[in-house]
Amino acid sequence: MASTKAGVLATIALVAVVLGMVTVTAAPGALAEDAEAQAKALKQVERELRQLRADRARDRKLIENLERKLDEVQTLNHQVRTTNEQLQTTTQRLQASNQQLQTKTDQELKQIQAQVAEVPSQQQLAKALSGYWGTHQFTLAGGAAGDFIYDHKLNQNTFSVDFEPIILYRPNDWLAFEGTLEASFDPGSGASFDSPVDTAQIFLNDYMEAVVGIFDQPFGDFYEDQGPFWVNRFITAPLPFGAAALVPPTDIGMQLRGGVQWGQLGQDGDYTLWVANGPSYDSSLPEPVVGQELNSNTNIGSNTNGRAYGARFRVYPFPLDSTLGRLELGASTYNGKWQNGLWLYTWGVDFAYHRGNLQTRGEFLSAYRQMPTGGPDNRQGWYLQAGYFLTGLRLPFLSRDLNSYLSRLEPLVRYSGVNQRAVVTDEIATNPSFGFSGSPSIYAPHAREVALGLDYWIAPSIVWQTEFDLELPRAGGTTYTFNGASTPTVGSVGATPNDRAILTQLAIGF
Amino acid sequence: MNRSYLAKSVARILALVTVCLMISGTAMAQESQEGKQKLFLDGARLWPVYCSQCHNARPGSEFSPAQWDLIMMHMRTQSNMPAKDARAIKEYLKGGLE
Repeated sequence: MASTKAGVLATIALVAVVLGMVTVTAAPGALAEDAEAQAKALKQVERELRQLRADRARDRKLIENLERKLDEVQTLNHQVRTTNEQLQTTTQRLQASNQQLQTKTDQELKQIQAQVAEVPSQQQLAKALSGYWGTHQFTLAGGAAGDFIYDHKLNQNTFSVDFEPIILYRPNDWLAFEGTLEASFDPGSGASFDSPVDTAQIFLNDYMEAVVGIFDQPFGDFYEDQGPFWVNRFITAPLPFGAAALVPPTDIGMQLRGGVQWGQLGQDGDYTLWVANGPSYDSSLPEPVVGQELNSNTNIGSNTNGRAYGARFRVYPFPLDSTLGRLELGASTYNGKWQNGLWLYTWGVDFAYHRGNLQTRGEFLSAYRQMPTGGPDNRQGWYLQAGYFLTGLRLPFLSRDLNSYLSRLEPLVRYSGVNQRAVVTDEIATNPSFGFSGSPSIYAPHAREVALGLDYWIAPSIVWQTEFDLELPRAGGTTYTFNGASTPTVGSVGATPNDRAILTQLAIGF
Repeated sequence: MNRSYLAKSVARILALVTVCLMISGTAMAQESQEGKQKLFLDGARLWPVYCSQCHNARPGSEFSPAQWDLIMMHMRTQSNMPAKDARAIKEYLKGGLE
């Protein structure tokens, strides 16, 4: 071990000696090279030092920029935080406000629902209104119409107008009053007013009613049921109920009437019994003659102490559920003294039939009037009419609008006539008036008329009617002419020349 | 003679009216709700048929329920329709608001 240490030490000492010898040998050349190297190194160090200084200056700027940006970010962040806090505050306020509104809305909704629940039903409202208006009730019905009339034979044309309000009054469930006023306008100037119907209706029970007053004659169907402008499918009345009436259109008296269902629903029967002042004839004539006109209104019975008695029965044979349509069959009679001891006897039968768009009706009536001298004044009259609603008709080559207009049309045809032995020339009217063309042909002893009509239904009770009348008297007869004398001049007349007339009318039922 | 005849006629008429008033029944049974519904349905069937017998059937909306009370009294007289049918049509035209 000791020998090893001694060997190592000897080796180290040897190396040191060798190195010293080498160093001393190479010293002068090495010093020169070393100085040059040191100079280069020094320059290198200086360059690096400058580089470091430049880097440090750049870094400082960078740091300053970053610090500035950091300040900005911090400022921004502060602002954002502030804004966020404000938003949170606002949100909290809004939520609180919303909650209050919701609560308030819920309360109001509950109040409204409670109020709605308290509102009376339609039935309660109707009852309340009924109580408010009282049990006495008035209403206005009726009709109005404007005409234009052209008559070929007389070469006359004119406008005409008529107004017929009906006042209805109901004090209770079993009593009602009806008053009809009529205003029409005469040729030239002025107007005429009438009250053709004024009645009290007393509903005695389900099967009987009493009617007292001046009423449409319940003879046949036309006077009672077809008179109003908008109800009559034509503008004019058929001859036996118009220009050449066989039975007075109205009468003053009393009726008992009612109806009953005798079979299934729709199978009804009804009756009308009445007593009235009775017929009277044109009192402007000095003496009665055959063919003399009836007075249109039979007022106070001053020319006879007798009354007229009438009866009418009607039956509907088909039940509502059948597919046979609605058929009405009626029979009437009216008999009364038109002068002391002299009677007018009349009877008539009538029908009406409706099925779908088809409606037809017709009547025949006969009158026998006892005359003071000579033979009786016999007359017969009739009419038959038919109409067909074009509802549902669709023509493929027409537009929808045109088809709509077409479906509102109702073409009509009517044939009517009156037979009587004579006419009074003094009574022949030639002035057009409401519902009358002015044609003298209507007053022929054997008048015949063909009426063609076209109704355009604007509403169920508003209609524009157009009528084309052909007057075709079948035969002539006797004429009586007073011309101011106390006794008539008797003459004869052939079939009056034919005539044509056009009437158009806008009729409104209200 | 004419006076006595007139007096007799008036007496007969008055007697007839008196008898009619005596036999008339004015009490109307209170109609049940079911009865009213049946009336309404019958009225809906009768309305277009009965009204069209003379004129176009007019809708219930044209007049108020109170007006229909009046108008149906008038129409019952004009048409002589059975009283129960008049009530049914009235119920229908009033829209069940009775």
